[in-house]
Amino acid sequence: MFKQMLVAGAILAALPIGANALDAPIMGSVQSKCSITTDTPGIYGNPTPSMLSTAATDGGIEPVIRFDVISADYYKAVIATPQDFSSSPTLTDTVVWNGTVAVAEVSDPLMSGYDAAKRVYNNVSEFDLTVAGTTWFSITSDASYGFDKSWPAGNYNAIVSAECIAL
Amino acid sequence: MRIFLLLVFLCAPAMGHQFTPTYPEVFPSHLPGISKVTMELFNNRRDISYYTIGVFDTNWQMVPFATSGKVIKIAYLGRKTIDIYIRNTDLSKAVYICSKSRTLVGQKQVAIVSSKICSKLK
Repeated sequence: MFKQMLVAGAILAALPIGANALDAPIMGSVQSKCSITTDTPGIYGNPTPSMLSTAATDGGIEPVIRFDVISADYYKAVIATPQDFSSSPTLTDTVVWNGTVAVAEVSDPLMSGYDAAKRVYNNVSEFDLTVAGTTWFSITSDASYGFDKSWPAGNYNAIVSAECIAL
Repeated sequence: MRIFLLLVFLCAPAMGHQFTPTYPEVFPSHLPGISKVTMELFNNRRDISYYTIGVFDTNWQMVPFATSGKVIKIAYLGRKTIDIYIRNTDLSKAVYICSKSRTLVGQKQVAIVSSKICSKLK
């Protein structure tokens, strides 16, 4: 009798008593949002002693900033080209800045009107992001030093401001 | 001598920054006369570890507010929930809540895109 009970106990112990499934939840939510991404690094070329330029013809690389919006008509992109160096050697003369912002690529053909509808003031370009998806903006920037003066040797950094403002 | 300078303007791998929700709701806080807005910041910028928070009116003037810290340290791919406290008397003025990337002074880094995302209070 005792032997039989031991065997029965062993069998019961070996049986799975309950389901041991593990649920690993993955949660997510889709909501209107904007994401700003630096897509392509930018580099200033130095085609002449007094000029710094991101233009490819000047040996530079134009930076590209990507804006992703999940929903249409929720945000505007505000991009400002540099008006000053964030770090540079000591400069003793004036610097003349020029810059432009243009739509480089779009994920939806409906975004092709962004460039025509942009608002430009000072060094700022504003685009209403009226279509959901991704827009790549390319930025050109050039700086001239004094009256054909040579830039002092050293490292120069400038800041592009990319803003996504809820409408 | 012809000076040749290769000047780095932006130089970083793809990176991003998110600040949600777009239209946050205002709730009463546990403190009398103070309302609370909860935001979430996601840092997908490898080159940035610090963000600042700001509350602005329609003319982009600062509105007084309080958070656990106005400069927020957040690791790459980190997410942070931020409670923003605004006095009820200032609530009618507050329109935008923004997060802005910050770089360290003197940091030897070349990725210089300042990203700023602003949500609008309902």
